[in-house]
Amino acid sequence: MPIASTSGIRGKGRPTTRDSAAASLGALFNLIRSGKATTRQELERESELGRAVVADRLATLSEIGLIVESELGIASGGRAPRLVRFRTDLGCILVATLDQSALGVGIADLSGRLFTEHHEAIDLGADAASTSQRILSLFDWLIAKHAPDMPVWGIAVSVPGPVTEGDEMPFMEQTPSFLPAWEGFPFVETLVDRFGAPVWLRSSIETMTMGERFAGAGQTARNMLFIKVGKRIGAGLIFDGRLYRGAQGASGLIGQMPVQAGDRASTLDVLAGSDMIAREGLAAAQSGRSPLLADTLRRGGDVGAIEVSQAAQSGDPTSMEILGISGRMIGHSVAMLANMLNPDLIILSGTMAQTNDLLLAAVRETVYGESHPLVTRDLIIAKSQMGSSAGLVGAAMVVVESLFEPGCLKDWIVHGTPLAHPVFLALRKACAARRAGIAAGQDRQAIAP
Amino acid sequence: MTISGLGPHGERAAPPERIALFPDDITAARAGRFRVAIVLHTLSSDWAKQQIAGIMATFGDCEAAVIEVVDCGFAPEAQVAALDRLRGEKPDAIISIPVANSTVADAHRRVSQAGIRLLLLDNVPTGLLPGSDYVALISADNFGLGTIAAAFLAERLAQGAAVGVLSYHAEFFATNEREIAFNKWMLTNRPDIRLHVRKFDSIQTAGADALALISDHDDLAGFFVVWDTPAMEVVKALERAGRHLPVTTVDLGRDAAINLASDGMICGIGAQQPYLQGIAVAQTCVLALLGKQTPDWVALPGLAVSSDNVVESFQKVWRKQAPREVLVSAKLLKNPSAP
Repeated sequence: MPIASTSGIRGKGRPTTRDSAAASLGALFNLIRSGKATTRQELERESELGRAVVADRLATLSEIGLIVESELGIASGGRAPRLVRFRTDLGCILVATLDQSALGVGIADLSGRLFTEHHEAIDLGADAASTSQRILSLFDWLIAKHAPDMPVWGIAVSVPGPVTEGDEMPFMEQTPSFLPAWEGFPFVETLVDRFGAPVWLRSSIETMTMGERFAGAGQTARNMLFIKVGKRIGAGLIFDGRLYRGAQGASGLIGQMPVQAGDRASTLDVLAGSDMIAREGLAAAQSGRSPLLADTLRRGGDVGAIEVSQAAQSGDPTSMEILGISGRMIGHSVAMLANMLNPDLIILSGTMAQTNDLLLAAVRETVYGESHPLVTRDLIIAKSQMGSSAGLVGAAMVVVESLFEPGCLKDWIVHGTPLAHPVFLALRKACAARRAGIAAGQDRQAIAP
Repeated sequence: MTISGLGPHGERAAPPERIALFPDDITAARAGRFRVAIVLHTLSSDWAKQQIAGIMATFGDCEAAVIEVVDCGFAPEAQVAALDRLRGEKPDAIISIPVANSTVADAHRRVSQAGIRLLLLDNVPTGLLPGSDYVALISADNFGLGTIAAAFLAERLAQGAAVGVLSYHAEFFATNEREIAFNKWMLTNRPDIRLHVRKFDSIQTAGADALALISDHDDLAGFFVVWDTPAMEVVKALERAGRHLPVTTVDLGRDAAINLASDGMICGIGAQQPYLQGIAVAQTCVLALLGKQTPDWVALPGLAVSSDNVVESFQKVWRKQAPREVLVSAKLLKNPSAP
């Protein structure tokens, strides 16, 4: 008999079968969701649970509606087994990336696969309320276009700087500090109130790291270092398969590390970031040292870091030299991290890293030269293949990983939706009350003389 | 006019001037004797014909041979088959307009992997990246076109009016951008306006969808339709239903131009410039084949077309004389049926 049909009333203090089974339900569900087991036989083998228990839990998961068991798999001798599949269309995930001059939004299914994305220009210096309103409008549009009948199961927003708060328990209860201009604005509360779904904020480097971990080159890596090279240089760390955030959510600010180039000492951001590359490239274009960049300038094009990267890839010696200087300097800092953390994989990301091989070559050369042989024995250093969509994909994976984390999952799985998680239900009320309080405070301020 | 939208991955637009060909480029291209194939969604529309004309003119100047022009008939399967077949021909480059999203993504990726330069028009399947999977996207500033259409319609709307927005059901970068831009312009500039959205599956059903939207919201005071052909279906359906409502759209098709000029329901159009877009994609293609730097996204600004400038806009867009009906309406020709 499936456990979902058992009565919840038992002897005093004794948990129901349904409650005590939540852990094994969650374990089986995550095996199915992650694709590690797709048949009953595989589930028995991977979970080490007996046939009767697996059958009982699958019946419950089917009854709750989280899985379907219908398609036939490939037979390996006898009858073809039935395939068990997670229903990724039970809900949708809304994601957004905010940077200084652009807003990206997307909508994904419960596996984190993006249906679509849209980007538009914004000024993040404008007031928080109008930017937040724009995000709400675009989310409304995405839902209407792609998921009019799907509940929103979670929302993740990637922001330019660190999100200074520790791990949520298990959901974000209020808006953490992340940008000075947004201080005091109830962004998380607004999203929770409007869409009735839990919200996570992460730094852009964290979401890109998650994107690479789950949809890019890092899918098989347990320990990964993700380096984003742009105006600022940051690092994301996957430690034992999970994103490491640090005590304050501010890990990976390697652009602040002091470095030296000749007789000049400054931070890695200043001496190796895209501003340096653009500055040196423009000088080379104007002086004619780089014929290719001079040609770009002649055609009325801008010479920025991206153009220098493209020129280096085309074999322009001056551009290759500029990128080599940046790459070796980044390589020194990354080698230090590699010696300390011993990752399986180091990924270089950012438009500059992705449009040419020179930066990657310089980083490789330095890391291999300056690291302990044991550290580099199986180390892979590669560039990201995900482009600027990594942030949106990673934001979706932040939601997926948080919702299906075993500790969180066991508290909602029997309800069939995380929106019925007892902590989240309480949080929704608190968010609504806090928003109402803020609005009342603003009203009082407005009528004050 | 500036470009107001961002590219499919958030790229900043490069203007068409950025990919202009210099005499030395043309000389080098002639020496290259390049072979190029073109794969379009259709060859029967004026838009497609003008694209081809712009491409042919530029490749003609550069003495690059167009070895085949494929009409996919809007069918993803036909496009996949065409791209796979053309790979065997080993052209130097292929210019393609992806007719769908995920179903044609891999076929396009295989073109690049075969060492053939791939240039995309108007749409990028999700997951394909500039640089590694394709050279560049060349499109209109679809976001700007949506804002042009919104501004035209707003002039005709009373305070607090309701507007019907007919959006395309398929996942397509260009039409998504137009719709989002229209909504954003209204939210920002006319927050009093209420928008009611309905998706249409095909051009043929757009008229019925418009009437269904009216039956749900009887107070609709205007329509925005994401391109001209379904917009004219909406106009016909409204005429049959005895309703006269202002309609704005994108693309200066012949029927839409005649309706606009004769003070019909079409009250303003955001027009693409397909001939110039054809030139832009061919120029980008030549530069890429010469090993020059090319931007990830080249966008062409849209034209705001009203009944006041429909004649010159028609000539500019289509590189030919405006239809007789347009010239008569603009009082540039006598009406032969007038007494």
